[in-house]
Parts: sequence; C-alpha cells; structure tokens
Amino acid sequence: MPTIQIDGRSFEVDGDGFLADPTIWNDDVAQLFARYDGIESMNEKHWAIVRIIRKNFEEKGMAPMIRTICQETGVKLREIYELFPLGPARGACRVAGLPKPDGCV
Amino acid sequence: MTTDCLTVEQLKKGLEPLNGHGDSKLLTHLNSCVHCGLCADSCLFYLATCDPRLTPARKVDLISSVYKRYHTFTGKYLPVLSHARKLDKATADEMVDLFYGSCSICGRCTMHCSIGVDISYLVSVGRKMLANMDMVPATLQSTVNAAIETGNNMAIPTADYLDTLKWMEEEMADEVGDPEACIPVDQPGKRILYTLNPREPKFYPLSIAAMAKIFYVAGESWTLSTRMYDVTNYAFFSGNLDEATLIADRLWKEMEHLDAESLVLGECGHGTRAFRWESPNYMERGFPFPVMSSVECIANYIREGRIRLDPEKITVKVTMHDPCNLVRSGGIIREQRFILKQFVKNFVEMSPGGTDNHCCGGGGGLLSMSEYNDRRIKAGGIKAEQIRQTGAEIVVTPCHNCVDQLIQINAYYKLGVKIMTMAEIVAEAIVVK
Repeated sequence: MPTIQIDGRSFEVDGDGFLADPTIWNDDVAQLFARYDGIESMNEKHWAIVRIIRKNFEEKGMAPMIRTICQETGVKLREIYELFPLGPARGACRVAGLPKPDGCV
Repeated sequence: MTTDCLTVEQLKKGLEPLNGHGDSKLLTHLNSCVHCGLCADSCLFYLATCDPRLTPARKVDLISSVYKRYHTFTGKYLPVLSHARKLDKATADEMVDLFYGSCSICGRCTMHCSIGVDISYLVSVGRKMLANMDMVPATLQSTVNAAIETGNNMAIPTADYLDTLKWMEEEMADEVGDPEACIPVDQPGKRILYTLNPREPKFYPLSIAAMAKIFYVAGESWTLSTRMYDVTNYAFFSGNLDEATLIADRLWKEMEHLDAESLVLGECGHGTRAFRWESPNYMERGFPFPVMSSVECIANYIREGRIRLDPEKITVKVTMHDPCNLVRSGGIIREQRFILKQFVKNFVEMSPGGTDNHCCGGGGGLLSMSEYNDRRIKAGGIKAEQIRQTGAEIVVTPCHNCVDQLIQINAYYKLGVKIMTMAEIVAEAIVVK
C-alpha cells in the first residue's frame, strides 16, 4: 500500500492519494491533506464543504452531488472550483477522507 | 488445479482471443513487427519515463510471444529458440502492467509504425485476454460495475440527477433571460437525444447548462433521458465486450424507447468511440439512426446559421487539446477547429497537434485506475509541456475525461490555465437572440 508523508506524518493511501482507511480521518488529517494540495490554511468555506461531503459519506456511503454541496453550504458553484483547484472529487473529497469516486474524475 | 497460479479455466479463457486462426487481421498484426523501434518516440509513456520496457514494440512482443507459444510449431516445441512465452501468472501480471498500466490505447504508435502494425488493436486484444481471466484492474472494473448496476458509472440516484437538471435549467433560463427556457427530460419524438458524462451532473454541471443554452439558441427539439443518459462505456476499454454490449444496447434501446430521430453523444472521446465507431462491430449490427458527436452538432448549427458567436467575447489566447478517441480514432479533426475559428481571435495550435497530438495521459481507462496514478501524471508531463509552449490561457477540449486529466496536470505542473469543454466556451460567446 502506498503512503504519503505530510509534515512528518505518514498516511496509507490508494494509488491516487485518497486515504486508505476513511475511519482514521479527522480535522487534522483534513488540514494536512489540504496543505498537500497547496491549500495552506482552510477557511470557513473549505470546512463547510468538507463537512457536508463527510456527512453525506457517513450517512450514504458516497460523495454528495455538487448540487447538495452548494445547497447545504451556500457556496457558489464556480467558487467551489476555485477553493479546491483539483475539483470537488480529487480535491474536496480527498481532503474529506473519502475513497476516490468511480468514473472520469 | 492451477498452472503457475493461473487456473486451467483462466488459461483457457485467456488464450481464447488468440484462437482466431481465420482472423487475418489478428494474424497479420501479431506477426509483422520488424523491431525497428520507431514507435518508441511516438509513445507518451516511453517519452515520459525513458523506460524501454514501456515501448509499444515491447507490448507487441509480449502478446505475439504468447501467440507463438500456443500456435506455432517452433513455439510449441522450441519455445526458447523462437522467443515464445508461456501464459502464466508472471506473464499475465506483466500484461496487466503494460496493457492497462502503461498504454492509453491512444493509437499514436499505430500511426507512426513503419509498416502499419495496429499496435493499439493488439493492446486491446491483450486487454480482452486479461478480461477473460478476470484480471481487469479493480478500480476500472468498479467503474464498469457501477454503470451496469445503476445505469451510470458514478451511481447517481435518479432523484439527484433530476434535481441537478432542474438547477441547471434555472441557471440556463437566467442566462438567456427566458423563464420558459427548459432542459427537456424523457420527452418522446424529439429530433435529438443528448447524452452526458456522469461527472457532469455529479461534479461539473455547468457544461449541461452550456449545451442546453446552445440547444435553446439553435431552437433545437431535444431531450435528455433518465433511464439511460450515460455516454461512457468503460467496458469497451476494460476488454469485456459482453459488458460493453450490455451498456451500448441500453443506449440503443433508449433511442427506440424515446423514438428520437438522432443521437448526439456528449463530449466524451471514450464514449463516442466505444459507441459510434466500435459498437457496430462488437454488437454486429448497424445503426438505424444517425449518431454524431456534440462537436459536429455545434459545427452544423454554425453552418446552418442557427447560432452566431460573438468574436469579442473571448480575447485571450486559446489552444485546444485533441482527444485521441475523437481525432486519431474517429477522424473528427476539422469540426472543432471550424467552431473555434468562428470566434476565437487568438487561437494557437499545439505542436504536435491534430492526428499527431499527444494523449493527455488519462485515456484508455487510465484516469479511473488508481493503481497507475504516478505513471499517468508523469505521462501527462508531455501534455503539460505542450500546453506551456503555446502560452495559452485557455485550453479547450471536447472530452470530459481529458478535462479531468488536464485539471490534474494543470495543478501538478503549475500551468495556471483554464480548462473548458467545447460547449462551455461556445456558450460563453453565443449570441442570444
């Protein structure tokens, strides 16, 4: 299993860098993964997006639709792509500790 | 009973695709490589890694050595002398690594081959052998399974899909200033049934609103479907043609169900190739309805005077990435250039471009295979450099799969460009009457 090192901590991940064990996720892990993607400090909007993704994953076992993220957080669609330059899947879902979604992402 | 860890059944099924004694195409391509090595420089994976193991000729060599072992006299009795290789676990593992993990079936090597060996066809045959042995990489297979089990490759529930369409309908109606403007769903008897890549409703819905805006301005009679809207068919690339048939047949049936006149495939190179150009072969029947890509559809609107594009809207430098499946495989080369040259003042080609363009690195199912992420990003470095050389601020590509790979290499190689689909850039410049 591949691992990535962030700030001296080591995480087991899949080939795409998504957390291998979503249950070890917490706020510290989110912050570290965000930093790995070049987001130095997560702001309120980053957190709101990550929390709604995490909640949906824990309740339904999958990433929410971008529609749900916008509705629940009030963040505008285009702004989400700016907040997470790698996009909602490879960016936000990864920071939220989810497995990589299937398909073209 | 096992054979070096492959079961007897696996071995038998794995060798089946090579059993075509009467298949002159297969036999010709399996037996013709002259090892000139010219293909190496055409391959993204070799260029990015300089690993001689990843050259196209080595891929050809691998499958033809297995063929020799089971189908030629010297291969059967003097395998060492004739460079014949047994299909065992080690061989199969190497095939997985070379055929899935270091080839996007982009076809550039085939075009450069000095004697015309269809190398990407042989890689596809290799993938078929592996699919027969249940050795498709798990992440690629799970994308196929999601499509088969739920009707779309991201397992989007119907209610969520419809909710997103409604949302994009409002967005589009707002933009065109007509509260009556709509995104029609499941409407029978329309001129066009349009399809989407599931990543659009799930994560990137603006391209749906963009295409809806184009249809609105063109005054098109069109509809989306809820039962079957997924344009992708990853099973064609996993090598399991039974599964590919099942998926393609659903789209076929939905055309009949909705009694649509023609099918317009969304911006997806894989999907367009797997359905339009390949499905008549693996399904062994011809289309009773016209099939076209959305790029051709938009180009037609311009020719017919149904849409007009404002040349003052996009003023920055724009380049275009040619998706291999549309361009090299399908021959759609001029249409996308025709569209962009209508309104983009500052358009610059990539070098090489057109049919000789490099793959983005994420084709052939690679984008969905986490197993090869590092190699895929490395291979994408070639594309990143091509983009950087153009000095463009916007990269347009009519393929959602390419878009995703480009988003990733944009961040990784710090290109600082904006990636857009064709519908998105056209919708920005379209003149609303």
